[in-house]
Amino acid sequence: MSALNQPTNEPSNAVLIRRLFGLAWRYRLHCLQVLGIQLILLSLGIGGLSLTGLGIDYIRHKMENTPAVVAKGIHFTLPVEWPPLRVLGLLAGLILAFALVRAALNYVYAVSVNRLVQLKLVVDLRGEVYEKLQQLSFRFFDANSTGSIITRVTGDVQSVRMFVDQVLIQSVIMGISLTAYVIYMASLSPSLTVACLATTPVLCLLAARFSRKIQPEYALNRTLVEQMVQILTENIQGAAVTKGFAREAEARAKFDAANLACFTQQRGIFWRVSLFSPAVGFLTRVNMMVLLGFGGWLVAHDRLPLGTGLVVFAGLLEQFSGQVNNVATIVNSVQQSLIGARRVFEILDAPVEVRTAPDAIRRPRLDGAVEFDHVSFAYDGAEAVVRDINLAVKPGQCVAILGATGAGKSVLMSLIPRFFDPTAGRVLIDGHDVRRLNLEDVRRNIGLVFQESFLFSNTIAANIAFGHPEATREQIERAARIAAAHEFIIDLPAGYETVLGESGNSLSGGQRQRLAIARAVLLEPAILLLDDPTAAIDSETEHEIFEALDRAIAGRTTFIVAHRLSTLRRADFIIVMEDGRIEQRGTHEELMRQPGPYLRVANLQLVDPRDLQLLGLAGGEVAP
Amino acid sequence: MKQSLPRPRVGVLVQQAREEEDEEQFKPLEWGLIRRLFTYTAPIKGKVTTLAVMTLIRSAQLPVLVWVMTLIINGPITSRDFRGIGLGVLGYGLLAVSIDVLFHFRQRFALEIGETVVNGLRTEIFAKLQLQPMSFFHRLKIGRVIGRVTSDVESVRVGIQDVLFVSVIQFGSMVFSAAVMLYQDLVLFLVVLALAPVLWALNRHFRVKLSLYSRASQESFSRVTATLAESVNGIRVTQGFVRQETNAGLFRNLLADHARYNIALARTSAILTPLLELNSQFFVALLLMVGGWRVFHGDMAMGSLITFFLLANQFFAPIAIIGNQYNQALIAMAGAERVFRLIDAVPDWTDDPAATELPRVLGQGVRMEFRNLSFGYVPGRPVLHEVNFTALPGQTVALVGHTGSGKSSIINLAAKFYLPTSGEVFVDGREIRTITSHSLHRQMGMVQQQNILFSGTVLDNIRFSRPEATDAEVQAAAASLDCLDLFEALPEGLLTQVGEKGAGLSVGQRQLICFTRALLADPRIVILDEATSSIDAMTEARLQHALRQLLAGRTSFVVAHRLSTIRHADLVLVLDQGRIIERGTHAELLARRGQYAALYRQFVQVDDTA
Repeated sequence: MSALNQPTNEPSNAVLIRRLFGLAWRYRLHCLQVLGIQLILLSLGIGGLSLTGLGIDYIRHKMENTPAVVAKGIHFTLPVEWPPLRVLGLLAGLILAFALVRAALNYVYAVSVNRLVQLKLVVDLRGEVYEKLQQLSFRFFDANSTGSIITRVTGDVQSVRMFVDQVLIQSVIMGISLTAYVIYMASLSPSLTVACLATTPVLCLLAARFSRKIQPEYALNRTLVEQMVQILTENIQGAAVTKGFAREAEARAKFDAANLACFTQQRGIFWRVSLFSPAVGFLTRVNMMVLLGFGGWLVAHDRLPLGTGLVVFAGLLEQFSGQVNNVATIVNSVQQSLIGARRVFEILDAPVEVRTAPDAIRRPRLDGAVEFDHVSFAYDGAEAVVRDINLAVKPGQCVAILGATGAGKSVLMSLIPRFFDPTAGRVLIDGHDVRRLNLEDVRRNIGLVFQESFLFSNTIAANIAFGHPEATREQIERAARIAAAHEFIIDLPAGYETVLGESGNSLSGGQRQRLAIARAVLLEPAILLLDDPTAAIDSETEHEIFEALDRAIAGRTTFIVAHRLSTLRRADFIIVMEDGRIEQRGTHEELMRQPGPYLRVANLQLVDPRDLQLLGLAGGEVAP
Repeated sequence: MKQSLPRPRVGVLVQQAREEEDEEQFKPLEWGLIRRLFTYTAPIKGKVTTLAVMTLIRSAQLPVLVWVMTLIINGPITSRDFRGIGLGVLGYGLLAVSIDVLFHFRQRFALEIGETVVNGLRTEIFAKLQLQPMSFFHRLKIGRVIGRVTSDVESVRVGIQDVLFVSVIQFGSMVFSAAVMLYQDLVLFLVVLALAPVLWALNRHFRVKLSLYSRASQESFSRVTATLAESVNGIRVTQGFVRQETNAGLFRNLLADHARYNIALARTSAILTPLLELNSQFFVALLLMVGGWRVFHGDMAMGSLITFFLLANQFFAPIAIIGNQYNQALIAMAGAERVFRLIDAVPDWTDDPAATELPRVLGQGVRMEFRNLSFGYVPGRPVLHEVNFTALPGQTVALVGHTGSGKSSIINLAAKFYLPTSGEVFVDGREIRTITSHSLHRQMGMVQQQNILFSGTVLDNIRFSRPEATDAEVQAAAASLDCLDLFEALPEGLLTQVGEKGAGLSVGQRQLICFTRALLADPRIVILDEATSSIDAMTEARLQHALRQLLAGRTSFVVAHRLSTIRHADLVLVLDQGRIIERGTHAELLARRGQYAALYRQFVQVDDTA
């Protein structure tokens, strides 16, 4: 497998964190702006709380002649000469004003965080990962399931950006707020502050520990749920199998077991969760008890004012534990973003194995002479799948390749458009090593048709013009005519504008393949690679695409992987591959004369003489 | 390869969510649905009752705690009663302990009840699915069922475990704080009361808006993932046609579009939260003014003012919470409705209650006869017309014809996956409707065109048809098809996982597993839909041999694509537009020089078009 999947290459957490910091640095101005707003919000919050306390103390001062009111924290003295209601009005007005500014700032804060995250971070990261994905070698796509690749671009990118907004920004905010709260509380009463915050370290430890313990359990739960869904999915897809063997009872037992596994595992999580939240709640209340007891004692001794002291303290304490509870979230996010980062960076760091050499030769039009010169290929470290191939094909010739699964047919063809580069030897087009040619020029000169051609959910016209989006309608129709597709396309309700993939617009295998051929010939390629193009088609309808193939092949250098004699015979010459080597080569007639794999295969497909007699055909190929 | 961390509701699932766009997001509360959901808690009835009691107690506990605090501040602290402070704090502490102990049970029980309902619903969905006939599965969109057992059931879980209990507790808190405030001061309480509806309306308005935006955002996200999935699956085409840059540009546009919806969502929620906070600040200001004025005029005690300050939050906070829970409840209702719709789906048909078992005759195929049979999947659109034929015990019937000519329909009827619209199918002389599906299927071996395998090992898959078979029996079955060596040559032999990418099971190998699976059941009827995918010539020879072994001595129906299969059939039925147009053996049909001969000529005459 490729370097992408070697666990030995996994970066350490420290390296990952450094890279994540680097990512945040790219958005430093945005981060600073967000932090600035938070700082103002924090001061406004403390200010508002103090004003409330001030109000209480003022009323109490007027009513019960308690000591005169001074708001220590905010250095604000109330005008003594004003009538009481006017003072209260002033206070209320100030509180409201603070609140309004806070509300406005909160809005600005939320919007700017989201702008940073949704408009910049996520879009940039996803765009980058996607762009990289598009260039990765097919091996990556073979080694990873579609679901896992999608997750990297969706979920994992979210985890990575979490490091910026959930971890970095939140930690800084938490640090600043906690410091501010502590300083402010200490300015009111240092001893009370110490007493009230005694439980904080316990709370932090508890939260961090809980998050570490519960994470793997949640991960396990996700796996179990996925397994259950998997069983369900397969059961529906394989309904005919289950019913056909009358094994519904076993299927139910299997599903119920998976379902029960989720259930049982969840109970463990429930226990932990139901222990943690009350424990945190209780610790917070212990703080409140200390405040009431010790703080009450201080108030009673007039060493602490009731409003600006005790009530404000109670408020701050509440905010404080709120922030401390964030520890769990942050620890969580760190772990999640590390997992995500590993998977995202894996893609971003993956080497693009094939790229154009800096001094590549530009050749917009190729003639199509293809030569393999002692070519071997092996996936890194693995056994060679193509061994020492020598083959020269003149422009316009058609070569058919026959061989068992895994004989190296597809790999051999992949070397021409440089989906892989040979491990030894050279592939030459028009006499140039393909590695010396501009990659885009090479690929634009090659038309491809695969076993099951992938069509995109777009209009038929857009699918045919996939390799050349600016193609005119005339060009598209000409390609469709060559591929014998024009007739069935114009019979469709929306003709060339028919959108594929929507229900009711499903095409038959033969029709899809003809579109794929049209897509390939639209580029007027000098070289055509056909990887078993009739594989997915009913033998009854196979002949539909022969006409298309014949016209497409005409005048182009063609490589075609095929199993049926009907196709093999169309070629100028045939190579038979076994274990990555060319075992036999020659024209159909030559190969039919020599004993070997070709003759064996041919005999299987040939008709016995009695059949020909019955059909009234004479002189066809006859099995010996 | 590194195990990828599973993440539900991302990727493929999201794509499937697109199909659900037409489904409602909310549904009004419905008593019948709620009652039905609670029937699933039957296994833990005791816990439900306990939880109900705890919920009621807890609804009073939180406001009482705050009230106790205000009592301590207003009483002992202001009057400098040190013993009182101590006692008060002690009382507060005891209350706190009781609250948190109760909280533990309340939370755990609620979670367990939610999970019990979820578990029950999933079990029932699956069980009901098994009772549905094949027609149901042909119509079914798989994404919908997955939606039922994941997101819908999850929303029901939230409804059960949170909405009801949280709402009751929060509502209780409100009522209790209201009572305390009312007891303290009527005028000030009226001020508080006047603010409540404003808060409620504000909250509702924004919640509804938020749900709409979040839906739009989800939809745009599903476009992102769908495009992504296509890009991954079509990567060969993209690279082959040098479209990387164009695609990257298009994808960025989609991302920008998705970001727009997210920002709209963020803006709305960015208004709601500050507004809620502003409201409580507004209340504090008001309290200071009105309260202060009343205290100065002696209409109200100083202590009451502090009580109001502290208790007001107990009154206001639940409004937003209940609003949110209400939203959740509507979503849960919609989810529950969809889940029950699936559970309650009436099967198109079920076995006749009078049907009896088909007796098993050892070592002999069945005799099957189609008599005047017509059939259509959709009423009024017949796909088979007046089909008549008889398969004698041990015979192989090959079905030949173009796509859509009715080959698969004949197979579906022979397997009793569907019932004929008119006419009869006789199995060993008995009408198929009088035979239980179970007993018929137990004597049947099927190989589907797609070579369906379940995730698990090769051994698991073969054993699927007869779970009680020993390893030796499995090996014997594989050996008699002459493919045991092939299975043992796999990376981990019979224990190789079939599902994993890179395990590299070829189409031929998968089909051989399906053959072995069918053979292990020792069926009297074999039904085979030959894979069309061209299998390399070496494997094809192997398959032909295995196939002959599988069919020997059994009555079989084969949708045949390979010449060698057709050639060995006892009866070839040539179908065209739902009618049998020719029948006979391969040789007879060739001699007749009709449709079959023409089809065959097209197939073997290689120089026709060259």
